[in-house]
Amino acid sequence: MERVKTGIPGLDEMLKGGFLPETANLVEGAPGTGKSTLGMQFVYHGIVAYDEPGIILTFEEFPQQYYHDAASFGWDFRQLEREGKLRVVMTSPEVSKADLEQVGGRIEGLVQEIGARRILVDSLSHFERMTADPAKLRSTIFSFINALKREGLTAVLTRESAALLGESESADEEMAFLVDAYVLLRYVEMESAVRKALLVLKMRGSDHDKGIRQFEITSRGLEVRSPFEGREGIMSGSPRQMVDSFVQAFVRR
Amino acid sequence: MGEMDLDLTGRLMADMDPQLLDFLRTKVNSFVKWDLVRFFHDNPHTADTVENIARYAGRSVSAIESGLVELAEDGVLNATQVGGMTIYSLASDHEVQQMLGEFVKASDERQFRVKAIYHIIRGMR
Repeated sequence: MERVKTGIPGLDEMLKGGFLPETANLVEGAPGTGKSTLGMQFVYHGIVAYDEPGIILTFEEFPQQYYHDAASFGWDFRQLEREGKLRVVMTSPEVSKADLEQVGGRIEGLVQEIGARRILVDSLSHFERMTADPAKLRSTIFSFINALKREGLTAVLTRESAALLGESESADEEMAFLVDAYVLLRYVEMESAVRKALLVLKMRGSDHDKGIRQFEITSRGLEVRSPFEGREGIMSGSPRQMVDSFVQAFVRR
Repeated sequence: MGEMDLDLTGRLMADMDPQLLDFLRTKVNSFVKWDLVRFFHDNPHTADTVENIARYAGRSVSAIESGLVELAEDGVLNATQVGGMTIYSLASDHEVQQMLGEFVKASDERQFRVKAIYHIIRGMR
């Protein structure tokens, strides 16, 4: 089966080769966990490794911030824009939604102009300010995602999670229905240090690694490492040694 | 305006690139418009409503609306209707983009900036 490789060491292995083409893939995590970095890496890798131009649709951060952040990993986004392989578009959810709904809109034009195949939408959380009605929000995001697929794009959509550390927050079931893959990024407190964990919660139409992996943001971008071993409660942010849990559960005090 | 003032203006403008001077006189003739063209130069693929651009620029809608409208009328920006909203974006005209780039580059130099500020203040009188 054809895959859209993220280019992130370890993640493609977890995804059994990469995302499926023309799918919407949600990356959810607390601020600073690396959602935007993952998305930028996905777009950058597509351009340089597979000649698949990309679009970054930002609803909050200024394009300059992406140029700056990308440069810290050695990715020259300004040059890619000059070469017509990348567009960093700053807009708002209401405008992008209306734009995609009309025939021959700006985003549709950009997709055609540069032949875009990948898109990062950063972030889906901003749709929540359009309406307080959950049913309407779901319908709005559903329509937005379908428009991206209609344009032949494979999308990484980021979403903010309120949970920082130690606060157990479960995945959003409503959102899980709307997207094709759901990747969770979490901070984990372990042995007096904060580490980061990644879990592929769902991948529609494909098998995937169900393990919880450590990851780091290096000078080359995101790198997914080995699974957390001998621990449980990782995604709650406060893991316990499995032997401790066993003692708590079975040993009479 | 006194004779001495006119002399000073003349001297200040004399060594400015005529095209940049024209761009300054006819397009970027207010501080708000200067801010806006700089914003669109730095974030060239921005496309949004006046309310959101005001938020990005850290200004009020009333402070920037007329500037956006005039820049669109002058061909520096595009104003398009999308879903009942007026959306402003940088004009796709290559010449306009090139002139904008040259203006922003020139305005990074102190001497040009001083002259441009003086020109705008004069125009505000």
